[in-house]
Amino acid sequence: MSPLAEGLVAELRARPRHFAELVEAHPTVAWRDLLRAWGEVRGLEALGRDEHGRYQIAAPRG
Amino acid sequence: MKQGFRDVLRVLEDAGELRRIKKAVDPRHLSALAAQAKEATFFETVEGYPGWRVAGALVSTRKRLARAMGCAEADIARRFEDGIRRPIDARLVDAGACQEVVWQGDDVDLTAIPIPLMHDKDGGPYISATMVVSKDPEYGRNVGSYRLMYRTPRETGIDLVSSSDMRRYYQRALDAGRPLEIAVAVGVHPYEMLAASYKAPIDVDEYAIAGGLHGAPVELVRCKTVDLEVPADAELVLEGELLPIGWTADEGPFGEFSHITGDVKWNPIFRVRCITHRRDPIFYMLQMPWENDWLAAPVIEAAGLQALRIASVEPVAIRAPVGGCCYWTLVASIKKRPGEGKNALLALLSVAEVKLAIVTDDDIDIYDPDDLDWAMTFRVQADHDVLIVPGARGKHIDPSVRAWSLGKGGLPTTAKLGIDATIPEGVPREQYERLRYFARDAVRLEDYL
Repeated sequence: MSPLAEGLVAELRARPRHFAELVEAHPTVAWRDLLRAWGEVRGLEALGRDEHGRYQIAAPRG
Repeated sequence: MKQGFRDVLRVLEDAGELRRIKKAVDPRHLSALAAQAKEATFFETVEGYPGWRVAGALVSTRKRLARAMGCAEADIARRFEDGIRRPIDARLVDAGACQEVVWQGDDVDLTAIPIPLMHDKDGGPYISATMVVSKDPEYGRNVGSYRLMYRTPRETGIDLVSSSDMRRYYQRALDAGRPLEIAVAVGVHPYEMLAASYKAPIDVDEYAIAGGLHGAPVELVRCKTVDLEVPADAELVLEGELLPIGWTADEGPFGEFSHITGDVKWNPIFRVRCITHRRDPIFYMLQMPWENDWLAAPVIEAAGLQALRIASVEPVAIRAPVGGCCYWTLVASIKKRPGEGKNALLALLSVAEVKLAIVTDDDIDIYDPDDLDWAMTFRVQADHDVLIVPGARGKHIDPSVRAWSLGKGGLPTTAKLGIDATIPEGVPREQYERLRYFARDAVRLEDYL
């Protein structure tokens, strides 16, 4: 996983966020790099949503 | 010859209705900039996307939609009716500009397309200007418009919640345990978009409706990897399949046509296996909600005209105002005979999700809000001329129906309101004679300037 994707995961672990909040947190990252990293985060299949539609990292099962 | 997407850009530019932006723009900012412009916007340079340009907000006003349709603003519904009455079959051609560049295999990468983030609560970047083609072994070809949310370099979400022919095709494919192949054309003429958003009977080819609107056949090319056909002059085409996973993947929220953010939905996933585009592609960013609303206007207005005629009421003009999202409100003027103000209301309130209808006489300019207010002030007695129909079908996205209180699968109802702003029966027309300025035809202001 790229450092950028790891950073996105860490931000989502800290608290639920809208996609736009993740974008705002990385204003200098090239759009394409951000989309690639988001694809990596999606690939983890750990993304969930809270009641406001914000992304969050789902709690590990078990 | 049929007009294309680029012809619309030219028509708008010639009319001073398109603004070119030469400075490089980050895709994060495309939508916000387009929203600030009074004109349609054309971004000539997109940061990180050499060779791509982006056009947006092309038909985000009634005036620009009418320009794209080549008619007067008051005539968009009749222009649409004329087109759907005379469908023209599409024509298959050997090659098209939409396939000048082909990405397949490892080259397939949605991040190479400048997909914008539009609203602050959207679930991701969205492709909003889609014309989605699918086929069913029994029912044949279908064309619709469905938003796509970026997920990964090869996958998007697709909103397939509402009832539609393609939803039915997908359900049938799902029942058979197979994916549904689709192709998505982006950057086509508004006539193709109108045909795609029109709920045609399942056996009617939307490409033929687009042909009827153009007055010439839509030229199609065969896709590279799926058994489907797309407009040859499209800017961009995505080919692939809806995975047979049902409605299981999160999609949304998205800034909806109601001008409100919708909910997270559960939808299928579109896996892209091939991308084709023009050598010098223009990505069409359909600016929500305005373009979505205005592309609905001719359809809902035409439905209103048809409903009035079925009710034996003679319509003069009809308008679906953007304040009602060109969907929930219809205003019509009619040539009224006694009782027809109410008949007209009953007819208009029967159209789809229309929940507010206003009817005036033909001396009222329904495009002039002051004239309309005047009619509603002096021709309406609320105890006689207001009609309320409770318990009609509503739509989840209307907050006033309180859909959240219904539980999963609950269907909302709504009250419908009709206002008869025609001259009341028994009141002489002379009572409404307008003021006239003395000597108004004898002098001209220009002669005194």
